[in-house]
Amino acid sequence: MSEVIGFLLLGIGSGALISGVGMGVVLSYRGAGVINLAVGAFAMLSGYFFWAIRSGEFASIGTVPAVVLTLLFSALLGVAFELLVVRPQRSATPLAKLIAALGVLLALQAAVILAFGQSAQPQPTILPAGNVIIAGVPVAWYNFIIAGILLVIAVVFMALYRWTRFGLGTRAAAENQAHAMFMGLSPNRLSLANTVLMTVMMGIVGLLSASITEVDSQTLPLLIVPGLAAAMFGRFTSFSVTFVAGVLMGMAESLLLYFSTESWFPTNQGGPIPGYDELLIFIVLVVAMFLRAGKIPARGDVLERRLPAAPVPRAPVRSALIYGAIAAAALYFLPGGFRGALITSLISAILLLSLVITTGFLGQVSVVQLALGGVAGFAVSHFATNFGIGFPWAPIMGVLLAAVFGLLCGIPALRVRGVSLAVVTLAAAVAIENFGFGNTTWGGGVTGSYVPPPSLFGFNFGPNASLHGLDGIEPSPLFGWFVLIVLVLLGLFVCNLRRSGLGQDMLAVRANERAAAAAGINVQYTKLLGFTLSAAVAGVGGALLAYNYGSITADSYDTITALALIAFAYISGITTVPGAIWGGLIFIGSITAYALQDWFGIQGEWFTLIGGLLLILTLVQRPEGVATAMFYGPRPSLRALRLTRRGGGPPGGSQIADRVGEAKVAS
Amino acid sequence: MTTPVLEVADLSAGYTGAEVIRHISLTVGGGEVVTLFGPNGAGKTTTLRVISGVVRASRGRVLYAGRDLARTSPTARARAGIAHVPEGRGIFFGLTVAEHFRLGYRGARIDPRVVYEYFPALEPLKDRRAGLLSGGEQQMLAVGRALARRPQLLLLDELSLGLAPLLVERLLPVVRNYAEDSGCAVLLVEQHVQLATEIADRCYVLSHGDIVLHETGARLAGNPGLLIASYVGQQSAGPGQQGDGAGSGG
Repeated sequence: MSEVIGFLLLGIGSGALISGVGMGVVLSYRGAGVINLAVGAFAMLSGYFFWAIRSGEFASIGTVPAVVLTLLFSALLGVAFELLVVRPQRSATPLAKLIAALGVLLALQAAVILAFGQSAQPQPTILPAGNVIIAGVPVAWYNFIIAGILLVIAVVFMALYRWTRFGLGTRAAAENQAHAMFMGLSPNRLSLANTVLMTVMMGIVGLLSASITEVDSQTLPLLIVPGLAAAMFGRFTSFSVTFVAGVLMGMAESLLLYFSTESWFPTNQGGPIPGYDELLIFIVLVVAMFLRAGKIPARGDVLERRLPAAPVPRAPVRSALIYGAIAAAALYFLPGGFRGALITSLISAILLLSLVITTGFLGQVSVVQLALGGVAGFAVSHFATNFGIGFPWAPIMGVLLAAVFGLLCGIPALRVRGVSLAVVTLAAAVAIENFGFGNTTWGGGVTGSYVPPPSLFGFNFGPNASLHGLDGIEPSPLFGWFVLIVLVLLGLFVCNLRRSGLGQDMLAVRANERAAAAAGINVQYTKLLGFTLSAAVAGVGGALLAYNYGSITADSYDTITALALIAFAYISGITTVPGAIWGGLIFIGSITAYALQDWFGIQGEWFTLIGGLLLILTLVQRPEGVATAMFYGPRPSLRALRLTRRGGGPPGGSQIADRVGEAKVAS
Repeated sequence: MTTPVLEVADLSAGYTGAEVIRHISLTVGGGEVVTLFGPNGAGKTTTLRVISGVVRASRGRVLYAGRDLARTSPTARARAGIAHVPEGRGIFFGLTVAEHFRLGYRGARIDPRVVYEYFPALEPLKDRRAGLLSGGEQQMLAVGRALARRPQLLLLDELSLGLAPLLVERLLPVVRNYAEDSGCAVLLVEQHVQLATEIADRCYVLSHGDIVLHETGARLAGNPGLLIASYVGQQSAGPGQQGDGAGSGG
């Protein structure tokens, strides 16, 4: 029993880091109205900066000047983030702001990998070493120091927001920017100050984390998931609740670590089951959401911008035949590497189609789609290897399973929407990836899970089928054609969905749930059906991805790729089928990426970096997405929206434009 | 004649490329209360928003004490003495009454006692969140806070919206007295015709983005037919009519 107390205390330090990230989320939300997924990435960047100027990578200077320089760097980072991302996004919807922060996260991660490589670097600690023995367990002093520093920060922020003029001004500007301006407050300056406070605090977190973890491109950025859970307990407003929730989560994780050594703890292949702490965070988040999310204060901005219009497809069958024929020919004539990349592109397009349904039509951001694809993929693998069930029954059952999971994911969407839903699905994706796919029994474990090639009546049409392309190299164009046919069918299905009554209902739910309910639309039914359909589409994509790889691990469906998928969906246009297809053609691993690498030697990480930056630019310049703008021309509705943004206007302005746009495209 | 506090010349503005107001010209002098009437969608609120700077003018000028405001941000306009009480109160529901008076930019000082003098009903409520106040109390807070800033130009948008007529009868005279005492120019958008014509020195009527009538408050109060005709559109902006009223004000 005394060991339990010891392990609880051991978790204080890492819990305080979660608190720090959570408070960064709160600060970003209160100050700038952004659910900032990049908070942990800022801590990571500051950590790398400190390491680089301390360890001899760039320089090797003393601890104190290095700390000062790092905090200065963090402040500059805040200024840059505010001016390049937050301010141009001032009038965007919370969802668009979240996606922009996602772009920052992806870009920072890729930049760090490009600059310093994948491997973790031992960051020099700034805190004294040494232990104190509590209840028989040696607990390092730094745990208490880190928690103490972050507690002080939490108290300072609380006081700042409650009693100072700056805090009052921030609260006022968060509630209504126009009214704040009428009183002579400057929302821009308040937002800048808050952003810089946030990045400096994340700089401190980055410095303190040295005692607990090395610097790498994953640990701190992904601390955002428990950080968001803590912030959600604090309703994105309370520093004290967020701090306590973060510390408690750290302690619970530490306790689980202790329990995992006990004999009764569930095991997998001799070790404790993987991913249990991610599962814990997910459960905590769901609890937080049900208890607290309904009361997250909304922000009033000068101008609300909606999701881009979802135009009705023009002549989809003709386009499908023309582009399908081109793709079919390309699959045969292209050299092997390009053929493989094109197949990956087509599969990515299918995964993006599922986002067109959830986000483009239904207006809900779901990060879990790729993980749902993974559910189908692993189902295909395990049905085949464990039960001898092959094509087509294994993928069909896999897709059904993905649809059931999608339905389950849709249930929280009945209660929370928009930004909170994105947060919950992010945690769900992380939990499924680690707890589900990391497990050898129903996932892939470390070694991977074999996927036999698809074949019907003994006729193999997988990537290794006997028919080869023009250059006689695998992958087989047969598999490419199979993927192409599936994509064309699903593309036409989504086009048809947009035209159907259900599609109209979805757009109505997207525009205004209450108004949709008042108009007699069954919002719950529409949402659940939308999530299920979208999960089924994602399941098809995931199963094809499994066939394409031949052997899958948790990394095949990892969360960073899932986030990148949303980023690329936005860049090319998340509301239309051409948007999804173009998104597939430029996604990571796509034919464009392959060509850039083959011809110019541009590495994959550059692609993520450029993708992240492009995403921010797209959101600022072309919210409807590049492909959608290209295919559906500069319609009056889009032009009107652009004018609104430049000229500024009352809250009514864009809604009118949006409604005009929807009416226009619906006619 | 001295420079008017507010002079709007040939002003056009709108949203999403469509103009809501076209070629509007009006003036408000110091100590004067001017009312802007007009049916829904006429452009009254837009006019106020252009003056306070949250909507940009596509043409024309806004002069404040003779100074062109084209390059002045909404924040700077507020600091220069323009107080805009927007439709729907313009206060912050999450802040308490007392916090509203502490709210401000560096150098701004608001004396709560001034507000409590205008509206004694607010004093016992000072620790209550503004969102929990009644509609009338909220409007008192909004107007009281605006007055306590000692503005030179006060823009009031639909004070009477959602309020009992009794309350409006108490609010408008406070504004009138403040204008007379301090020399502040007041531009009032109002639907409550009778009260507004009584306290206004002059009135403009906006219809579909054009000024169709310009009269003294007294004349309009005595001749309601004039206003009705301009509302329903029978009365075009006849040069004689407009000339009649134009010179008679401030």
